Amino acid sequence: MSSTSGSATADKPKSEDSSVPQRPSEALSKDECLELFRLLYLARYFDVRLIKEKKRGRLRGTLYSSHNQEAVLVGSLFGLQANDWISPIHRDMPAFFLKDIRAGWRNPERKGMSIEEVCCQVWGKVGSPGRARDNWSHIGKRDAKIIHSTSMLAGTIPVAAGVVLADKLNGGNSVVLTFNGEGSTAQGIFHEAINFAAVHKLPVITIVENNQWAYGTPTELEYSLPDFARRADGYGIPGLIADGQDVFDVYDKVMQAVEYARAGNGPSIVECKTFRAYGHGDHDDDRAVRYREPDQVEKGRERDPIAVCRKKLIEKGYLKGEAAKKFFAEGKNAAEVTDEDFPPEVVEYLKEGIEFALKSPVPDEAEGAMWVFKENA
Amino acid sequence: MSATVTEAPIALKKNYLSALKEALFEEMAGNADMICMGEDIGLLGGAFGVTEGLQKEFGAHRVMDMPISEAAIIGASVGAALNGKTVMAEMQFIDFISCGFDQIVNMMATYHYRTAGEVNLPIVVRGPAGAYGGGALYHSQMNEAWFCHSPGLKVVCPSTPYDAKGMMKAALRDGNPVLFYEIKELYRKREIEEELPVDDYIVPLGKAAIRREGKDVTFVSYGQNVYHCLEAATQLAEEGITAEVIDIRSLVPLDEETIVNSIAKTNRVVVVNEAPMTCGFAGELVARISDSAFEYLDAPPVRVTRMDTPVPWAKPLETYVLPSVDKIVTAAKRVVKF
Repeated sequence: MSSTSGSATADKPKSEDSSVPQRPSEALSKDECLELFRLLYLARYFDVRLIKEKKRGRLRGTLYSSHNQEAVLVGSLFGLQANDWISPIHRDMPAFFLKDIRAGWRNPERKGMSIEEVCCQVWGKVGSPGRARDNWSHIGKRDAKIIHSTSMLAGTIPVAAGVVLADKLNGGNSVVLTFNGEGSTAQGIFHEAINFAAVHKLPVITIVENNQWAYGTPTELEYSLPDFARRADGYGIPGLIADGQDVFDVYDKVMQAVEYARAGNGPSIVECKTFRAYGHGDHDDDRAVRYREPDQVEKGRERDPIAVCRKKLIEKGYLKGEAAKKFFAEGKNAAEVTDEDFPPEVVEYLKEGIEFALKSPVPDEAEGAMWVFKENA
Repeated sequence: MSATVTEAPIALKKNYLSALKEALFEEMAGNADMICMGEDIGLLGGAFGVTEGLQKEFGAHRVMDMPISEAAIIGASVGAALNGKTVMAEMQFIDFISCGFDQIVNMMATYHYRTAGEVNLPIVVRGPAGAYGGGALYHSQMNEAWFCHSPGLKVVCPSTPYDAKGMMKAALRDGNPVLFYEIKELYRKREIEEELPVDDYIVPLGKAAIRREGKDVTFVSYGQNVYHCLEAATQLAEEGITAEVIDIRSLVPLDEETIVNSIAKTNRVVVVNEAPMTCGFAGELVARISDSAFEYLDAPPVRVTRMDTPVPWAKPLETYVLPSVDKIVTAAKRVVKF
């Protein structure tokens, strides 16, 4: 396994490289490439639509926008098998419906959440798999192989390791992707869990969404490495760097790590370099323009993942003529885009989810005291 | 009757540690989905030997030596349990549980609640606890109150070999996360060894035991303080005061009924606990008693606890701050004379 994007990383010995293709995205069909493009729109539309709903005062809690980071989610989830696990965190809301979406956006059997379930969660309705007991991204679904997170950063990595340990003991070969901001890498549990996974060669892939900002703190105050992926050296595992704006590069690097793990070689760290478009949460948008330099934000957002993908699809000849010029959502803020900037099937999909959530009931108040313990007969 | 003359099996008395070990062996044998995780529990067989022979019997894949990280042990236990395993997680000393605190109170305790019952976690986090042995600040703690304050965790503390085995088996079958406080001073205490049933048995969690009957004052306690209470009761009996000794065994859930029924008879209560006083479980017991048994009380409930200090090392210091038979006797006389 090796990494690109220049910087030194903890590569594995050459003898272990040969079985892992370096560019698995080259094997993707035209339809699959176009689907990746469509999923970027879907993730973006979900985000901007919720920003609008939130600004209109229709939602409780905090929205942690994934704007400009969609390629990390779409690219890393696209190659997973149905029985693989994920543990998303606060900025990964689209991951819940993106998981196993290749099995069909509306396929009730797929190992992911339906858009209806995700919308019920956001709107605080009983149709959420957790019946709206914790908010926003603090949701999961065991049957869909989605691990439930808390607010304690990196806290799901040991849980993810335990989950695939159980699968391994049962003879399975699932892998797990854990999603983490670069800020969470300063936590002790980040180290403790990856060290454990490395010792036992557990198929735990740690995705570091390096968006340059941990709330109001820049990366240089979080760790002292030029490239975070080099942290992997300390665990004797591969550390890869992906261009987080390029859905194909993310797919390639994550799939390298996935195949490596599935073959029994153990964990990897995949650092996806990206940039946070807005504030930490929607409560922070106004302050974020003060603590971040405008030219840094402009530079960080100049390679919109939709634009990067569009360019590649044009190069591949998969987007031509009028089709290549349609739906320009890239480079626009939530306030600037309209439904016309997105493919109609994307708008329709979310509309179905929202309508379902709006019609769903809120939980009965007495549920607040239920399910503290499993009741035994 | 059989015509064959068979020798009656020689009943062996078991100590508290052997009782725990038997429970683990039997549950591992009976539950193919059970695994154990902890520091030094495999090759070494545990710092105190509770898991001795377990890895040899069941393999390194089911009895895992973990890197020194309580947080990883707890977190991995949560993951394995959410994916179908029953997990025994050993804390080498219960003091070290603080290193896994977030994983316990935020991840493990809340899982059933957060998932509206979708996920339940059959995990027993167990480890040696308690003072009186010169363990000093970081090998003497009784920190159970931290976890009683985190909804979603059961918290238990057996004081006899019979209970140690029966409650461990019950905890491993409970389906909820259980924090299991073992009293290391009792592990090899000869005086409390007892014969254990040959057949499978459990001691249900949430049921108190009356260790001695009396009519003048009720002692409510658990862990090794139960033996201090029993000794105090013996001394008081010489002065004509009879004390009833209740071993609550389980803090969460709590058997309030047994406590209230006793106080209805004795009208006086002393709560004894080696943890520090402020916000300790003794305070919770007194509060519950005030709610449920106020009308029976002829004297204010009294606590005998550790002073609000860490546990110091040198013997005179340790003795000074901890509950003792003398302190219990003094407290009992105070409430009886009130």
